[in-house]
Amino acid sequence: MSATLQYLVNGLVYSGVIVLASIGLSLVYSIRGFANFAHGDTMTVGAYAALLAFSGTSALLVGGGNATAGGGLAGLLGGPAAFVVALAVGMVVAAIVAIASERLVYSKLDTSAVGLLIASIGVAFVMRAIVQILFGNIQQAYALPRSGPLPGFGALGVAVTARDVVVVVATIALVAALHVLLQYTSLGRQMRATSDNRDLARASGIRTNRIVDATWAIGAGLAGAGGVFLGLSLRLQPLMGFNLLLVVFAAVILGGIGSVYGAMIGGLVIGVIHELVPALSTYGVPINAQYANTVAFLIMVAILLLRPRGIMGEAV
Amino acid sequence: MTNPIRAWYAGLTDAESNVAWSVGVLFVLFVLGVASGVINLSYGLYLLALAGMYVLLSLGLNVHWGYAGLIDFSVAAFWGLGAYGTALVSARDSPLGFTVDPIVGLVVGLALAAAVAVIIGIPTLRLRSDYLAIATLGLAEVIRSVINNQSTWTNGPSGILGLPLFFGTWPILGDVPRGAPTYALDVCLVAVFVGVTYWALRRLHLSPWGRTVRTIRADEDLAEALGKNAFRFKMEAFVVGCVVMALAGVFYAHLQLAITPGALDPTQTFYVWIAVILGGSGSNRGAFFGGLVLVLIVQGTRFLGGVLPSNFPSAAVRLLVIGVLIIAVMYARQEGVLPAQHELITPGTTEGNDE
Repeated sequence: MSATLQYLVNGLVYSGVIVLASIGLSLVYSIRGFANFAHGDTMTVGAYAALLAFSGTSALLVGGGNATAGGGLAGLLGGPAAFVVALAVGMVVAAIVAIASERLVYSKLDTSAVGLLIASIGVAFVMRAIVQILFGNIQQAYALPRSGPLPGFGALGVAVTARDVVVVVATIALVAALHVLLQYTSLGRQMRATSDNRDLARASGIRTNRIVDATWAIGAGLAGAGGVFLGLSLRLQPLMGFNLLLVVFAAVILGGIGSVYGAMIGGLVIGVIHELVPALSTYGVPINAQYANTVAFLIMVAILLLRPRGIMGEAV
Repeated sequence: MTNPIRAWYAGLTDAESNVAWSVGVLFVLFVLGVASGVINLSYGLYLLALAGMYVLLSLGLNVHWGYAGLIDFSVAAFWGLGAYGTALVSARDSPLGFTVDPIVGLVVGLALAAAVAVIIGIPTLRLRSDYLAIATLGLAEVIRSVINNQSTWTNGPSGILGLPLFFGTWPILGDVPRGAPTYALDVCLVAVFVGVTYWALRRLHLSPWGRTVRTIRADEDLAEALGKNAFRFKMEAFVVGCVVMALAGVFYAHLQLAITPGALDPTQTFYVWIAVILGGSGSNRGAFFGGLVLVLIVQGTRFLGGVLPSNFPSAAVRLLVIGVLIIAVMYARQEGVLPAQHELITPGTTEGNDE
């Protein structure tokens, strides 16, 4: 039982990353109308920008004598300010890169959704190549002390690290902030209007170009945060985002492509299922844990066949 | 009396003559390089063989994307199925425990790819274009994952080593010394593969079947309204293209004499895509040209990596070049360098110069 519970906990942490990435992919699809294959590499860019910022900021803090060290949560709090700054930098850099790709590439192309999709592969390659040239093709990690399981969760028989808590709490906070933004602000209303019908929105006086920029910024910013959390719970390497892209697509398609709330649900479901695959063998289903991605992809294909609009998408 | 070469040249469009010139110049440079010893003879022949393989892959993808408009992101998987198909039955280290002649391996590789193409095509070919792209990429990863993890069937991540040369068991050709002579045989083999494929695809392209498939690409509803079963035609195009990709895989396996799951990396799929788009979607000559450019980029950056200091990130530069090239083509010339123009005219139906 506790083994399954442990997988569930891992699933929630993984879901956090997938949810953050899915929202951006779905947002960009709803406003821009194409499947963005550069989204995974946007996550990578965010993660590496945070790496750069983190080493810079924590060096500054150590120099100022502000850094403290300890066990458990305090260990992570050793550089909390540095990490928050790094997270913010990662999100902002990812957003800037995405807006630049819209301004420099996508908006200049006179082509169909398929043409934009192909162009996004080119953009993805350029991003990944630059990351590889700048940071090398090796695994790296944020220089935060790794802490053991938190004692409070020991009673439940599961190991939860401070990093896990940070990822889940931060994801919930970001998703809640996005919900408030979409539902209760003028920008959110304009985004929803643009997503429904871009021409009508423009005719109603919405500056849709600015909405497109805002969409890229929000979508890529969340993807950047997802990349940082992926790097926090695993490691950073130049293919980290691209390797995750198909799982994110699976989540987005499950939720209904173009739907933000669908992406949240899809991300949660796919993330948990992905991490529960190893648990299946304890219930007598003989499946190798290596097939976690495969299960996600097969769910995606099944959804495409049986219910292409997903859980919350509009009819296609 | 007109000189046929001159007449042929005069009939070319600007783009075609530019391509003819650049291919000619490249070929001369290549021959000079080999003759002067800058390029090792074995390596030069190996490059030619590899170029032939990329041309085959581009021709295969051109059937999918150029003819039928199918966004297929599973190129590497079908290429790998061809390679694994022949490796499993002909390699010394095959987990199946028996070996047959590579000719049988060729048949097995192509049949395996065709069967999997049907299995994958049935669910996916009805999907909308961008969903097809995502689904084929996902299923390609499933294939790679199965090859990687079912070690009892495929040797898993360590791959299958010890493949025989394609002509290894032949009476005279099998006794040729290793090195440049065997590579020369490989070049001849791939030339035959490319020649037969090119001829067959051109026939297919100009046939009523080809016209129907092109109509489906342009307007599927129109084709359906005219009584054509679009799904059936797309399935046929999908299987034909996959078989050509598998042929490239079979050849590659017997060129490298080994195959590992790492070679099925999805990046390879996108490399072939740039070859087809750059060459000109729907044009066999474009695919041919694109395949040549691709081998130039892939091996050129590798060559640079060998010449420049060892910390030169040649893999990253290759990725950068290909990424920029994709964006540049989409930006400047979406129809590609050699769009299908003359190619769609049946020879002999127009006055004067055809082709």
